Parts: sequence; structure tokens; C-alpha cells
Amino acid sequence: MTMRLVHYSYPVAYRGFAPLAARFNRSPWSGLETEIDRLFTAAQGEAGGAAPPGRFPVDVYEDKANTYVRAELPGVDRKAINVEVVEGNLTLSAERKTPAAEGRAETSISLRRSLQLGEKVQADRITAAYENGVLTVTLPKPEEARPKKITVTVS
Amino acid sequence: MSLSASPMPSSPLPSPDAPGHAAATGPAIKPAFALSESADAFHVEVALPGVNKDGLELLAENGKIRIIGRRAWRKPADWTSLYRETSDDGFELVLTHDRHVDTGRITAELRDGLLRVALPKAEELKPRKIKID
Repeated sequence: MTMRLVHYSYPVAYRGFAPLAARFNRSPWSGLETEIDRLFTAAQGEAGGAAPPGRFPVDVYEDKANTYVRAELPGVDRKAINVEVVEGNLTLSAERKTPAAEGRAETSISLRRSLQLGEKVQADRITAAYENGVLTVTLPKPEEARPKKITVTVS
Repeated sequence: MSLSASPMPSSPLPSPDAPGHAAATGPAIKPAFALSESADAFHVEVALPGVNKDGLELLAENGKIRIIGRRAWRKPADWTSLYRETSDDGFELVLTHDRHVDTGRITAELRDGLLRVALPKAEELKPRKIKID
């Protein structure tokens, strides 16, 4: 697994994550169609992976100290996972290789997802782990953003 | 192709043969999978993200291959969900075959959330060269 961190500018100030995938297409319905396609493909269960190709599902969590992004990437090459932060955007990319079999050459699919980081993160302290086909990226919040408990001694 | 998926994931059926299984599985979703065939086996690739070996069950009975996967990861109590696209539900996939699978020699490998199952064809289904006198 490689991890490149390119941190050019300050992250955007507003809170919350917005997935950037296929949101701004031609018609107001295009996003929905994609969603419906996705549901149908999922229901059919064929094609052996996330559909449409290249997209994979992500979850975002937080606790007091960190924001966590978990991505379902079953069966990808661990060494080809890339985690990148550029201008407040987190980009996850990976490669899924299907080994060559009888009458079939080796195939490779590129997977990619971008998320906008709504909050400042300590970009130099981001870590990532890949386990059971799930990638977990831990994005530490800056010290000042964490809730602090101050104990005041009353004399 | 003599191997097919049932249209819907079957609900956990209480089966007298397997009393423990039905109770252990909760709601389940049908995983993404791909079928292929070679001269001597059928191959199934099933995407089971978040499932480890301990949470995986593979049952072959009555012309059916049943794959049940439970997710190993649970959200820690102090984590808050901000945005979700995945489900916490387990996976269940039932494949029906016309009994041309040699169930005694099925092999399976789970690696990085991807399950690869090889279902060897029964002898009578394999291509055979017939000697002509």
C-alpha cells in the first residue's frame, strides 16, 4: 500500500462530507438513473464487484479525535491502493485484478472515489489500513477542533 | 451452464439438518458475484467485504451451495456515522446446481474479502474422449 499526501491548500471551512461522484451531470435525473442502475446491478448480483465499474461504496464516521473513511474494496491489490489528499479532497484509488483463467486473459479494473473533506485534518498524520477487503482511512482532527475538557480548580 | 443463482437470497430457513445456522444469521443481502466455467469445474467469485474466515459458512446440500458471511467489524460505540453507503447486514448467496458438482471436492479460498470457490464437475460431466475400435 502506498500513501501519497499532497497538501496544497487549506481545507474548505464548512463541515460535512459530500461525495463528488456523478453529482453534477446534465439532467437533474442523471444522478438518480445512476443510482437506479446501481441498485439493479446489485440486485442481479453479476459482474463480480461494485457497479458501475470504478465506483465502490464508502462510509464516513467520526469520533472525538478522528474522522474515519471506510471503503469496501474486496479483492484488490493491497500494494496498488492509493490514498491521496489534495486541496481538501480525499481520493481513494485501487486496482482490481482478475487472474487469467481458461480462455480469458488477466483483466484489471481501476477503482476510484473522491470525497470532500469538510473539516480540517492533520494531513501529515493520516493513516490507512486494509483488512478483510475494507480500507479504513483515519484522518486525525486538528488539536483545536477536538472538544477539550478544562478542569478549573475552585479555591 | 448448469449452475444458477436463486432469484432472491433465501430467508434463513430453519432446517432440521442445521439447527445452529438459521438462528445465527440476521438480515442478509445478496453479494456481488461472478460465475465462470472451465473444463473440469465451475468457479464462483463472491465479494464479501468485511467478512473474515470465522464469519464465513459454506454449505453444500441438496443441489444447493449456500454461502453465508457475517461482517467481522462492528462500529465502536463512540463512533458516529456521518454518511453511509454500505450495510451492516451479512451476506447470503444460494446457488442451485443440477447435481453435476462433486460436492466432496469443493475448495474455497477467502482473501481480502473476496471468496473464490471451485466446484469440481462430477466425472460424468467432464469431457471424455471415446475410443473408437
